Amino acid sequence: MNIRKLVWLEFKQHKSQLISGLLAITLGIAVIVGIRSISVVSEKAVAVNLDNLGANILVLPQASNVDNYYSADIDSPTIPEEYVERIVSSNLEGVDNLSPKLTRRVKIGNENVVLTGILPKNEVASKPLWQKSGLLGNETKASCAPSNTANKSNGYEDEKLKRKVIDSLGTNECLVGSAIASKLKLSDGGKVEILGEKFKVTRVLTETGTIDDDRIFIHLHRAQELLKIPNQVSAIEIMGCCNAISDGLLSKLRNVLPDTKITTIGQIVSTQIQTNKMMNKVSLIFLIIIIFVGGISIGNFMWANINERRKEIGMLRMIGFNKTVIYRMILSKALVLGIIGGIVGYFLGTLAGMWLGPQLAGLPVKPIASLMGVSLAISVGVSLLGALIPSYLAGRIDPFKNMQEV
Amino acid sequence: MILKTTNLSKKYQHKDGVVNALNNVSFEVNEGDFVTITGASGSGKTTLLLSLAGLIKTTSGQIQINGFEVTTASDRKLSDFRMMHIGFVMQSFALIPYLTAIENVMLPLAISKLKKNQKYEKALDLLKLVGLENRKNHLPQELSAGQQQRVAIARALVNSPSLILADEPTGNLDPSLSTDILNLLKKINREEKITILMVTHSPLAAEFGNLKIKLSEGELENEPKGHNNKI
Ligand SMILES: Nc1ncnc2c1ncn2[C@@H]1O[C@H](COP(=O)(O)OP(=O)(O)O)[C@@H](O)[C@H]1O
Ligand SMILES: [Mg+2]
Repeated sequence: MNIRKLVWLEFKQHKSQLISGLLAITLGIAVIVGIRSISVVSEKAVAVNLDNLGANILVLPQASNVDNYYSADIDSPTIPEEYVERIVSSNLEGVDNLSPKLTRRVKIGNENVVLTGILPKNEVASKPLWQKSGLLGNETKASCAPSNTANKSNGYEDEKLKRKVIDSLGTNECLVGSAIASKLKLSDGGKVEILGEKFKVTRVLTETGTIDDDRIFIHLHRAQELLKIPNQVSAIEIMGCCNAISDGLLSKLRNVLPDTKITTIGQIVSTQIQTNKMMNKVSLIFLIIIIFVGGISIGNFMWANINERRKEIGMLRMIGFNKTVIYRMILSKALVLGIIGGIVGYFLGTLAGMWLGPQLAGLPVKPIASLMGVSLAISVGVSLLGALIPSYLAGRIDPFKNMQEV
Repeated sequence: MILKTTNLSKKYQHKDGVVNALNNVSFEVNEGDFVTITGASGSGKTTLLLSLAGLIKTTSGQIQINGFEVTTASDRKLSDFRMMHIGFVMQSFALIPYLTAIENVMLPLAISKLKKNQKYEKALDLLKLVGLENRKNHLPQELSAGQQQRVAIARALVNSPSLILADEPTGNLDPSLSTDILNLLKKINREEKITILMVTHSPLAAEFGNLKIKLSEGELENEPKGHNNKI
C-alpha cells in the first residue's frame, strides 16, 4: 500500500465516471491531432509542389475542382485533346512545354489506383509544329530568356520545374508510383494487368509524398483506348515563363480556350497555403478552448469526486496524512486522467485524420508519432491545471468530520 | 506521564451565540492507563478528543502528549504527530469502502518508508490479533459491524501508536459485540501497553477503565477517579 496504489484503487472504483470527466479533453485533443495530422501532410504537399512543379499552368475542364493541384485532374470531366494543337497554333509567347493527361481511378486487384495517361517527351518532340513554336523547355531559352532570372528569383530552378521528364513510353509499358508499387509488390521489369491488358513496369518512380505515389502512368493514347474516352484529356499542363504569366498569358489562354478553367499552380498552392493557415488557426483556437473547457470539465469532475469522498479524505487527514499528501493524491489522479485523455485523444484524432484527410485534402494521412507527446503534454497540463483548485479545497477538508457526525 | 492538559477551554462560535464546549479542563494520564470519558450528550467529550489530537484549535490552555505541545504546533507537525503517536477508533468505523480489510489496515502505512511486504506482514499480524486474518480480502460491506470495528482497531494499531483515542467505539454495536470490542481494547491496553482514552456513554463500558473522567457541560465533574497505576 502506497499513495500510488491508493490512488489507483480509488480510480478503479470510480472508473465508470471517467467518460464524463474526460469527454471534453479527449475530444479537444482529438480535434487538434486530427487537424494537425492533416495540415502536416498538406504543408508537406505544398512544399513538394513548390519543389517539383511539373508545370505551372493547368488547363482543366470548366467544371473541375481545383482545390488540390495534384488531384485536380482525377475523375474530372474531360476536354478534347485537340486543345493542345489549338494552344500551339495560337503561337502564344511564353508557352514552353505542353503535357496533356487523362486520369481516372481504376482498381487493380483490391487496390485503388490512379491511372494517368501521358505523352512521352519523344512524341511531343516529334511534332514539328511544337518544335517550331519552341515547345520544349530546353530549346526555348530564347523565347523565354527574360524570364530566367525571374524564375530563379522565385526560387525555381528550371530543371526542377519539370516533373521527371519521361523520354519514351511504349504501348504496353507503364511507370508506377512508389506507394502503389509497394502495395501491388511491383518492381522494375515486373508485369501488371491494367483493365484487362498486360503492362510491363519500366520503372518504379521515387517517392514524392503526393498523390503521384498512387499513380500508374501509361501512354495517353493507350489510356484513352482502355478507358474508352477517345481523343479526350482531363488536363493539359503547360510550362509557362513567369514573365509571360505576369504579362497576361493566362487571359490570352482563356481567349484561346474559353470553355476551360485555366489556373496556375501558384493559385492552387496559395489556396492550399491559406487552408493550411486556417487549419493552424483553428487548432490554435481549439487549443485555447480545450484549455478552458477541458480544464473546467476536469476540475468539475475532480471536485464532484472529492465531495463524494469528503469523509474519506477527512479520515485520511485525521490519521495523519498531511495536506501535501492529499494534494499529491488528487494531482496524481489528474495525471492519470490527463494521460488517458492524451492517449485516447491522440488515437481518435489520428483515426479521424486518416479517415478525413483523403476526403478533405485529397491527401493520404499517416499517424504522426510526435503528436502523441504533444497530446500527452497538453492533456496532462490541462488536467493538472483543472485539478489545482479542487486539490487545494480537498486539503482544506476538516479532518474531524468523522468524529462529529454520529 | 504520557498526557497532560492544563486549563483547557474550547468555545465554539455559533450564530446563536458562544458554546462553552470545554471549560478549564485539567487532568493527567499515565502511560498504560485505560481512561474512560463519560458524560451526557453535548457535554464536550468529542470536543475533548478532537482537541487532544490537534484536530481543532482550542481557545486556551495547553496539551502535552509525549512531551509534544499540541496547541501550538503547525498543521504539518500535527499531521506527523498523529501519524506517529495516535490511533483513532470511531463510532462509524471510518473504513474506506473500496479497500479490503488488509488494505484498510495498511492505509496509515501508505506514506511510510517500509517495504511492501513489511507493510503487508504488519497488517496481517494485526488482523490476526483482532481475529480476522481469514477475512483479510473482504471489503467492509462484506463484514459485520463488529468485524468492521475490529479492522478499524487493527488500523489504529498499525503505526504502533502510544495513544489510542476512541470515540464511542461500541456506539453502533449491540451489547454482546460491544463486550467483545471492549475486551479487545483491554487486551491491547494490557498486552501492547498502549494508553487508551475512550469516550463512551455506556456505564458498563466505563467500567473497563482504570481512570474515569466525567464531563458535564464542558467541565470535569470529578477529580479523575482511579489509581494511575503503571502496568
Ligand atoms: N462545530 C461546532 N460548532 C458549534 N458548536 C459545536 C460544534 N461542535 C460541537 N458543538 C457544541 O459543543 C458542545 C459539545 O459537543 P460535543 O463535544 O460533540 O459533545 P459530546 O461528544 O459530549 O456529545 C455541544 O453543545 C455541541 O452542540
Ligand atoms: Mg460525541
